Amino acid sequence: MTEARLDDAWLAERVKAGEARALGELYDRYSGMALATAIRVVGSREEAEDVVHDAFVTVWRKIDRFDAGRGSLRAWLMTVVRNRGIDRIRSRRSTVDVDEADELSLLRTSPNPTWEEVVTRASTDELRAALAELPDEQRRAVELAYFEGYTYREVAEITGVPPGTANGRMRLALAKLRQGLSGSGAAASFAVVNANGTEEATQ
Amino acid sequence: MSRQPEMGCTAVDELAPAYGLGALDAPEARAFSAHLAQCRKPHSEAMELIETAGVVPMSLEEATPSAALRARIMTSVASTPQEHAAGRQPAAAPADGRRRWWSMGALPSALVAASLVAAIGVGAWGASLNSRLADREAVLQAIASADAVYTASGPAGDGVVVESGGAAMFMTEDLVKLNPEQIYQLWLIHSDGTIVAVGTLDRTDGVVIVTLEQDLGAAVSFAMTVEEGRVEQPTGEPVLTAQLGA
Repeated sequence: MTEARLDDAWLAERVKAGEARALGELYDRYSGMALATAIRVVGSREEAEDVVHDAFVTVWRKIDRFDAGRGSLRAWLMTVVRNRGIDRIRSRRSTVDVDEADELSLLRTSPNPTWEEVVTRASTDELRAALAELPDEQRRAVELAYFEGYTYREVAEITGVPPGTANGRMRLALAKLRQGLSGSGAAASFAVVNANGTEEATQ
Repeated sequence: MSRQPEMGCTAVDELAPAYGLGALDAPEARAFSAHLAQCRKPHSEAMELIETAGVVPMSLEEATPSAALRARIMTSVASTPQEHAAGRQPAAAPADGRRRWWSMGALPSALVAASLVAAIGVGAWGASLNSRLADREAVLQAIASADAVYTASGPAGDGVVVESGGAAMFMTEDLVKLNPEQIYQLWLIHSDGTIVAVGTLDRTDGVVIVTLEQDLGAAVSFAMTVEEGRVEQPTGEPVLTAQLGA
């Protein structure tokens, strides 16, 4: 377990024990990233601060559902922030079943210390560059899904491709991101499951 | 409770990118989670994709929150029970039924939009309610689920005006005692100078919660005066005020 993750796990234990100061430390550590995510999702800074507020209060309230053995606190927090923001924009659109998305958050991470270390070491510039290097249609699919809250079927409609292709673009994007960040060739191990056939597999 | 649709290993492997990016609809996402929670297969490729999706927000340039946000969060946290701790400290039922408005759902869940000034004021005010756990919990839960919270203060004491779901309430504690023939009367003041009576308080000890007789609407201020019986218009200077809409 990395130092950062150990720290986070310890913070989580303290929050779980009801120590509000530990939540303050978590805020000090990740509020900048949380607010950036919320702004990207909801657009307005004022509303984004409401999202961040709600997310941290949710983390406080539901910390018992966090399991450090299954992922990092940072990843969980960011998922909660993102989901709170998406709940807001989806409620404006009313096009999909809005759920209490943070209920689903825990499985969005996994206990892989090597990857966690890669992510911890990577700078924002490197992460941004890795995203920027994606083909436009893959980056667009990721952004529509993650930051704008569209389902892969909606992404397919918006971009005029079959749902399998939209999902395939996301798969390729994530594989390339992983490869770009780790340089491990991990992406090559991802078999492209694409209902649309070969278009995505060849990119 | 409806049974959630099942999802097989193939579908989980196929939909992992969409799941990781939060791009499944709720029933699919629940089915996906349920499968991963019970499946003996490692689904390692799917897990890697999900894990990788977690870096997407980390590519953003960090933003600097306002100085108010931290205080607002910490204030809310101070009055928010943790799920796992809730069972250990069940809130005592109030003896006089003052929580009925809460438990009957008069305050539906809504987004908290309290201003920093309100939040800090509420924090200090709420902390003073420690000796009355049930009242404190009712008040703070109402505040936590409010659309807006405004602090009120003046020579008579402190309190908050809470707006939620089209209803408004005034909550206070231990106001300055009045002579037996006097009451506190509550007012909303509109921008055109119109003053509307919205309730009275006939006691001053302990926690007092009053549902205002109308919602805040376009009122710009809230005020409380001392009167000798309910009157149509205030007869004296306010002894407690709150700026609304700030």
